[in-house]
Amino acid sequence: MSATSQEAAPMPPKQETPFRRFISEYSESPVAVVSFIVVVLIVAIALLAPWISPQDPYDLAQLDIMDGRQPPGSRSMETGLFFWLGTDDQGRDMLSGIMYGLRISLGVGVGSAVIACIIGSALGLIAAFAGGKVDTGIMRLVDLQLSFPAILVALMILAFLGKGVMNVMLALVIVEWARFARTARSAALVEARREYMEAAKCLALPQWRLVFRHMLPNCMPPIIVIFTILVARSITLEATLSFLGLGVPITEPSLGLLIANGYQYMLSGKYWISFYPGIALLVTIMAINLVGDQMRDVLNPRLKR
Amino acid sequence: MRKMRWGAAILAAAVAGAPVQAGAQTLTLAVAAAPTSVDPHYHNLGPNNALSMHIYGALVDTDAAAKPRPGLALSWRAVDDTTWEFKLRPGVTFHDGAAFTAEDVAYTIARVPTVKNSPGSFLLFTRAVTGVQVVDPLTVRMTTRGVTPLLPVDMTQVHILPKGLGAEPATEDFNSLKHAIGAGPFRVTAWRPSDRAELARNDAYWGPKPHWERVVYRMIPNDSARTSALLAGDVDVIEAVPTQDLAKLRTDKRVAMAEAVSLRVAYLMLDLSRKDGQPFVQGPNGEALTTNPFQDVRVRRALSLAINRQLIVDRVMEGAAVPTGQFLAPGSFSYVADLEPPKQDLAEARRLLAEAGYPNGFRMTLHGPNDRYVNDEKIIQAIGQMWSRAGVQTKVEAITWPSFIGRASKQEFSAFFAAWGITSGEASNPLRAMVATFDAQKGMGSANRSRYSNPALDAVIERASAITDDARREQALIDATRQAMADVALITLYQQKNIWGMKPNLRYVARADEATRAADVSVAP
Repeated sequence: MSATSQEAAPMPPKQETPFRRFISEYSESPVAVVSFIVVVLIVAIALLAPWISPQDPYDLAQLDIMDGRQPPGSRSMETGLFFWLGTDDQGRDMLSGIMYGLRISLGVGVGSAVIACIIGSALGLIAAFAGGKVDTGIMRLVDLQLSFPAILVALMILAFLGKGVMNVMLALVIVEWARFARTARSAALVEARREYMEAAKCLALPQWRLVFRHMLPNCMPPIIVIFTILVARSITLEATLSFLGLGVPITEPSLGLLIANGYQYMLSGKYWISFYPGIALLVTIMAINLVGDQMRDVLNPRLKR
Repeated sequence: MRKMRWGAAILAAAVAGAPVQAGAQTLTLAVAAAPTSVDPHYHNLGPNNALSMHIYGALVDTDAAAKPRPGLALSWRAVDDTTWEFKLRPGVTFHDGAAFTAEDVAYTIARVPTVKNSPGSFLLFTRAVTGVQVVDPLTVRMTTRGVTPLLPVDMTQVHILPKGLGAEPATEDFNSLKHAIGAGPFRVTAWRPSDRAELARNDAYWGPKPHWERVVYRMIPNDSARTSALLAGDVDVIEAVPTQDLAKLRTDKRVAMAEAVSLRVAYLMLDLSRKDGQPFVQGPNGEALTTNPFQDVRVRRALSLAINRQLIVDRVMEGAAVPTGQFLAPGSFSYVADLEPPKQDLAEARRLLAEAGYPNGFRMTLHGPNDRYVNDEKIIQAIGQMWSRAGVQTKVEAITWPSFIGRASKQEFSAFFAAWGITSGEASNPLRAMVATFDAQKGMGSANRSRYSNPALDAVIERASAITDDARREQALIDATRQAMADVALITLYQQKNIWGMKPNLRYVARADEATRAADVSVAP
């Protein structure tokens, strides 16, 4: 309530760029600000992992099976390394494992979302702009794609192509491009009837210029929102695939694979192998989703006060 | 009629779900892998054979240590080099009341090759038999192609059917239970694939009467689900207790355990099919090699010495294995008593590598399956650690079984991990399959995926496996094993243990062959 009354108070006039307006509207929600800071921190950890992690969890020579399944807060008998979050069955420091796991999870999530975004948006714009048979063709393909559960499609693709980070990304791109195509097309259909598009058409500009220079920038807000949501979804899907043993190789575990490794030990009370990677995954996905939610609210013109 | 049977099955299922009550004499057991058929000659697969043991019965049975003992045959002897004579057990009847005679044996041997679409044929065990003569109702003779000292062992796998089933009984008729008739301790009363089989005691059984009137034979492949089912009291006995739960279950008062060293030996093979270079081996700085380091026995010995077998058994297998330096476990036929498992010696491993011309080691990738053997992908990571410490920078790659075994059989790997179940319980089987030079025509080296070849050793193996006299054959097999291990034809790691978990008031005679036999489950005194 107090927020609305503050809103109602006359704002001091200041130069208002769209970006600045976006920032000020975004920071209205403290949760969204905290989430954004968390996302920045997680990205920083993922990028800096090789320099800040206590151990290289992917180097077998640094692991010692004698240190396997140590509870959080124990010390390595061989190297004296302190295990803040315990170790997994191979003697891999869970903290380092999570840091490197975030790298893979975020890399796969963001990478596949970017590629899916480029392919999907381009196809969506082409469909909207070209209309007719091209539109029908692309959109029926989108319908077909969306009618299958994403996990099922991803499982089939990986069963066919085999494991590996690149194959997981490819599978994620294939299951996600359709959402971008649908979003981009609906946004473009709205934009196509605007006056500035008519003006641009009257100037007899080439089609690619009409589409990519004039229409695309105005279609960006919904695409950005769907992008953040799909990054979170890609991370979840990658974790699911790795958990099922179809994702990344065992010596380079992502968060999903770390959880899968620890899952077998749940019954015997060694909770930390699954628990901490699970928390890391949860926090990452929640933070990205909250950021995405707030961006949707800010960028959605219908919710404008 | 059919409706009634279903009704009975549902009722039985409801009863089976409840924990065992005193006097109910129903045993619910959970196996880890589902049999693919009730037909005893359809698919030569451990889970199928384990179910067949309940319903049918072979001429020769095996005891808990996998040694032959009388089954439907009371005794057997080699009449000459190519003839075996079996004296049959008198007074045995099949479930349908028909008497068991030599005619049924002849009928069964003739039936095995007629099974259609068999994914794993039992012909393997009857191929050597060229003729079956019925001497009298309780005497049967089998003539063999060549000397076949192991025919009685082969006969442990061939379950006898009554000749009353008629010409070429179809597998479907076994699965519908129409033909599921044998002379075993139980009759099968219901069969639901991948879920459960239900058995009722055969009161006319020739052997000791099983304690259980009814047996619910459930299939629960998921490890955690199987353990949970036992802890929750839904089942009375589980097989293949997952190693990660062992530490907890061993101290849990709600569970009793039984374990036996199995006939499954885990090993590593190093590719010897190439003379120059290796697909997954590079020099210490990643440069391509023009030689195959594994051709040098010192390198093979160094890699064997770099492995701490005891540590793998303790830390990865949770004690569910015994370290080994040969094929079989102590107490087995043709076990080499003075061949100790190699002790880890990193200094000696480095010295051998340097002597072989690799003072800085090399880089390599070790492959293994990730869904086939107990802890398979954890084992290869542990070995990767140990080899890296000896100066061989090792990467590991675990892949799914069907793809793994296909590629391993095409010599696509430089080194791989696998395990071998020694069905016959003696060293001739692994020696012929994994050490003898690969020769598809002679049926030798069928699992020799490293393509190790040593003509002198081939001769020793061939001579040893043709001796009919047990004592002399054992000595010859011991000599052959000693030579194969000295030359590091393959690196054996450990023998797996088979572990059963059960309610504390039950006892089970743990078996080397992984089978869970309801008749061997008893109530503790």
